[in-house]
Amino acid sequence: MEMMTSRDMPTVQAEREAAIEAVGLCKSFKTPVVAQGRFSGIRSLFSREYTTKEAVRDIGFTVEKGDFVGYIGPNGAGKSTTIKMLTGILHPSSGSVKLAGIDPHRDRLRCASRLGVVFGQRSQLWWDLPVKDSYDILAHMYGVDDADKVRRLGEFAELLDLDEFWDTPVRKLSLGQRMRADIAAAMLHDPELLFLDEPTIGLDVNAKRNIRGFLKVLNEEFGKTILLTTHDMDDIEQLCRRVMVIGGGRLTYDGTVEGLRREIGLPTEIKVTYRAGYVLAGQGDDLIVSGDMQTGAHVQPNQESDLHAADSSFAMRIVSRTESTLTVEVNREEVRTMDALRELGHWGEIEDVEMREPDFEEIIRRVYG
Amino acid sequence: MNERTIGDRRVALQNYIKLYLILIRTSVRSRMQYRFNFAFGTVLAAIIQLSEFLMIAIVLAKFGAVRGWTMHEVGYLFAVMTLAKTLYRTFGNEVHNLERYLVEGELDQLLTKPLPVLLSLMPRGFRLMPGELLQGGAILAWALGEMLRTGQVTWWAIPQTLFAIVTGGVVLFAIGMATATCGFWTTRISMLQNMTEDAAQTAARYPLTLYPGWMSGLLLTAVPVGLVGYVPALYILRGELGLWVFPVLAAASCLAVLLALRFWKFGISKYQSTGS
Repeated sequence: MEMMTSRDMPTVQAEREAAIEAVGLCKSFKTPVVAQGRFSGIRSLFSREYTTKEAVRDIGFTVEKGDFVGYIGPNGAGKSTTIKMLTGILHPSSGSVKLAGIDPHRDRLRCASRLGVVFGQRSQLWWDLPVKDSYDILAHMYGVDDADKVRRLGEFAELLDLDEFWDTPVRKLSLGQRMRADIAAAMLHDPELLFLDEPTIGLDVNAKRNIRGFLKVLNEEFGKTILLTTHDMDDIEQLCRRVMVIGGGRLTYDGTVEGLRREIGLPTEIKVTYRAGYVLAGQGDDLIVSGDMQTGAHVQPNQESDLHAADSSFAMRIVSRTESTLTVEVNREEVRTMDALRELGHWGEIEDVEMREPDFEEIIRRVYG
Repeated sequence: MNERTIGDRRVALQNYIKLYLILIRTSVRSRMQYRFNFAFGTVLAAIIQLSEFLMIAIVLAKFGAVRGWTMHEVGYLFAVMTLAKTLYRTFGNEVHNLERYLVEGELDQLLTKPLPVLLSLMPRGFRLMPGELLQGGAILAWALGEMLRTGQVTWWAIPQTLFAIVTGGVVLFAIGMATATCGFWTTRISMLQNMTEDAAQTAARYPLTLYPGWMSGLLLTAVPVGLVGYVPALYILRGELGLWVFPVLAAASCLAVLLALRFWKFGISKYQSTGS
């Protein structure tokens, strides 16, 4: 709350602190083994048997002020567990967290007043009350005075179109509206640091665009440090300067978005329909033909390699084919899409082209093999 | 936190109280969105209380005295327990309902707020319990009225009884909180609550002399529900013990809450949340 900020560390020192500093974070969950048979409830209560699941193992990183970090990984990889440890919800089994120099577990209250947290799956708003009432309560909770509240909400309302549902009870909002309202709520006390756990999950294109726009403004114009988890590659590509990938509880990649793309060699899938069939030709060294090939096709020796982070040396390869269509994967690191199309044009007269970017889950799967 | 000055603490406390009232108002307003449910629930609670009262009335009418305790004295125990429990559940119901927060991971949101978890949690379950209040009050009036008429007690019994109800409510809250805290390890707590809350409270509606020594011992120490009605009744109704009962009750209830709070804080550090 307000009164706690009065005796914070000197600003000079605070400036030098990293926004987030995580060292050797581990979290294992102990679940009591559920006893079977009679009185199982009572016996489970006193049982000493546990199964231990290591959700996060030795994760460490530093996020500087003003950074925009994407934290990605498949379901169950430990993303939410990490976020919950960073925000002070879960206590790590070992390791430590510092947010702007403050330990969110030892000093939860002080830390919480400087954090904004949004869980995409859960609302922090008061379900049965109009949206605006939640802001009033939160303003009291965080000690935000009326003038600041009105000014900030005015800014948010413009960027997030809050006006259209200002008086609507939260339970009657659409998912997109609720998410916008929730993000505004998390920023009401003007925190330096914003954590978002899957903020765009289940939203339509417009709502996603709206939210991304807002986050961009927060980061670029207001200098907020933002860390978000997502399953949407567009979130990462449009917003994040840095990506961290978690798999099986470990950090498997930490670097720029470009670096990640380079590492995987993000293949683009192109499906070409030929007007009057095609003839496979000109398969140079850089063309790998793989998959379920019929006779007549020239098959390269390394046909069995699946796309893996380490293997990004191919330029283009055939994934599937029919009488009149050909589906190929194009490695954009090796060859430009236009060149690939030109090459495909040599094989027959093209009637139609469909392009598909690889889906995100697949990329992540490839990142940690 | 340690170096916070006394002035800061006072401001913090004032803010907390203000916030507590705001949150209670919020919770009542939320509940009023469903007026019918509220009205129906209140009526239903009153009916349940009435049937419970009829049960005990039958028991009392049939057996009259229990181990040297008159019908009115047992009625008094029952009423004090009901009112203390009403006090606890009016303010601390959400602590009793903690299981829901643990199972559904709802505690996450509360932990991201710059407030002690109890302060965000308790107002959410604030509710008025007119049914319980009326029933307990009626039985208490009936029991004390009769004893005042026969001269067994003086008018002093009334403030003394109110004091006992308040300390009793605090003791029940402490027991409820300690029980709920076990949920940070076991997640499910309803089984444990059956023992430490429901069964214990029911047991303490009767004079503890009814039970074997080890059990009345447990009900005075480990799960101190005996402090709610039985111990104050010994002095207020029967002139046993002494006036020192009241400071002891106050100290014991404070101690119980402090111990429960420590346990609670430790429990929160073991919170496991849920998957998303």
